[in-house]
Amino acid sequence: MSTRETTTPRRAGRAGTDSVARKLARNVGVPVLSIVLLFALWQGIVVYFHVAPYIAPRPRQAVLAVTQNWSTLWPLVLGTIRETVYGFIVGAALGIGLGVIMAKVPFLQRLVYPVLVLSQAVPIIALAAPLVLILGFSVTPKVVIVAWIVFFPVTVNVLDGLSHVDQDLMNLARVYGAPRWRTFFQIEIPATATPLFSGLKIGATYAVTGAIIGELAASDGSSLALYQEHANTNLNTAAVYGTTMLMTVIGISWFLLVVGAEVFATPWQRRTVARRRWRRADRSDEEPAR
Amino acid sequence: MSASAILELRDVGKVFGDTVALEPTSLAIDEGSFVAIVGPSGCGKSTMFNIIAGLLAPDGGEVRLHDQPVTGATGHVGYMLQKDLLVPWRTVEDNITMAKRLTGRVNAADRSEARRVARQYGLGEFLRHYPSALSGGMRQRVAFMRTLVTHQPLLLLDEPFGALDAQTRLEMQQWLLQVWKDTERTVLFITHDVDESIFLSDRVLVMSPRPGRVVADITNPLARPRTVDTLVDPQFVTIKGQIMHLLHGGTP
Repeated sequence: MSTRETTTPRRAGRAGTDSVARKLARNVGVPVLSIVLLFALWQGIVVYFHVAPYIAPRPRQAVLAVTQNWSTLWPLVLGTIRETVYGFIVGAALGIGLGVIMAKVPFLQRLVYPVLVLSQAVPIIALAAPLVLILGFSVTPKVVIVAWIVFFPVTVNVLDGLSHVDQDLMNLARVYGAPRWRTFFQIEIPATATPLFSGLKIGATYAVTGAIIGELAASDGSSLALYQEHANTNLNTAAVYGTTMLMTVIGISWFLLVVGAEVFATPWQRRTVARRRWRRADRSDEEPAR
Repeated sequence: MSASAILELRDVGKVFGDTVALEPTSLAIDEGSFVAIVGPSGCGKSTMFNIIAGLLAPDGGEVRLHDQPVTGATGHVGYMLQKDLLVPWRTVEDNITMAKRLTGRVNAADRSEARRVARQYGLGEFLRHYPSALSGGMRQRVAFMRTLVTHQPLLLLDEPFGALDAQTRLEMQQWLLQVWKDTERTVLFITHDVDESIFLSDRVLVMSPRPGRVVADITNPLARPRTVDTLVDPQFVTIKGQIMHLLHGGTP
């Protein structure tokens, strides 16, 4: 099989010329394969070295620890998702707002930038305790911690993007007599789409970590992080691994959603021809569809 | 000012620090004419353009369009650079209507005009393409259409074909002359290519640097339409010699 694969001439691969099946195989098949290999490696190591289940479980045991306790775990997962999503939205909005303000007011940029860097230098775990004192054990401290982590890469990327918009393009808008707010929405914002999504993707990968740190420091009893901690105390290692997998799945799902949003929002990056738009009813002079 | 002048500069000059980018300059451009400005880099041609477009305030003097003062004001000329400045997130059609989108709402008539212009000049197949799918020459044509549909009577073109290969460039020059004839605009065309300045224009302004100034104002008598034969016409060669001498001070 594999030898036939390699002797088949490779298609000079441009994404646009590949078939759907081929695309699917490359974009979904290969990542799935790498995860399967990872689990196989895990299984292999545990079996080969005769690792005791309370040191490290087999993949099957970890998965079972999740599925058999699903009714208990499900609300906790929902809680973590809620903290992650709320925190991400707050952080992204804050990040975009700060990036725009800092790009537009150079004085504020000089004033605020050191504080932003400082905010990220503070160990987040040290921040959790005072946050609980101020905000209690509600969902709020977790949201604050997630937002705290998410806003920074967003701000930095938005600021960077807005500072690097082609000045000739800005001048062209001025020659047209465009008001500044139109130039902002029509030129500067779309020109910043790519760096903005870079910031959002970085934020998305860290968002779940923030939510879990928040749960560890600021939970009154029921949360995914505390569930894992109790499992650890009880030497229920399979459950520890299982909840870790759950957290990872939440993180990956959220990242993929952001990637999906990027694909949807920036079609020009992967298409050569725009999709037909529905909003137009005025195509009376349109050529008949070919 | 002559009755048919569309644009007039009166003692317009600009100094950056110790550099005289443009000496106080006065000139008038006739409505409907094609005027080329030729000169080496640093001769102040782009400074002059930016002053006319309103991007740069002159140190002194006045810019008048249709006998109205427009010094330092924007929104009254068409403007195109060597960089096509198409936005990658808009289709060809939406790039053509860009000026309207930046100053108000794009309506059905604007879109219809964009499609008509694109079809007329050979880009009808590419209306829904993103600019990344187009060649350099096609992109420049889209950029020019975007300039055309602003309906500004005066077009400032700053080395629009400077980045194209020789073959595409000649095609684009002939194309531009055709569009100019069809649409009856006034064109101010910056170039550092002497052949291009003569091939296209009714009049050539020769500029020289340090300080930036207009050193000659040459009327171009070559008949239209211009063809490949124009490039070897004895008159063409005579004017070219004249400009070369002005630009290179007699040295060959």
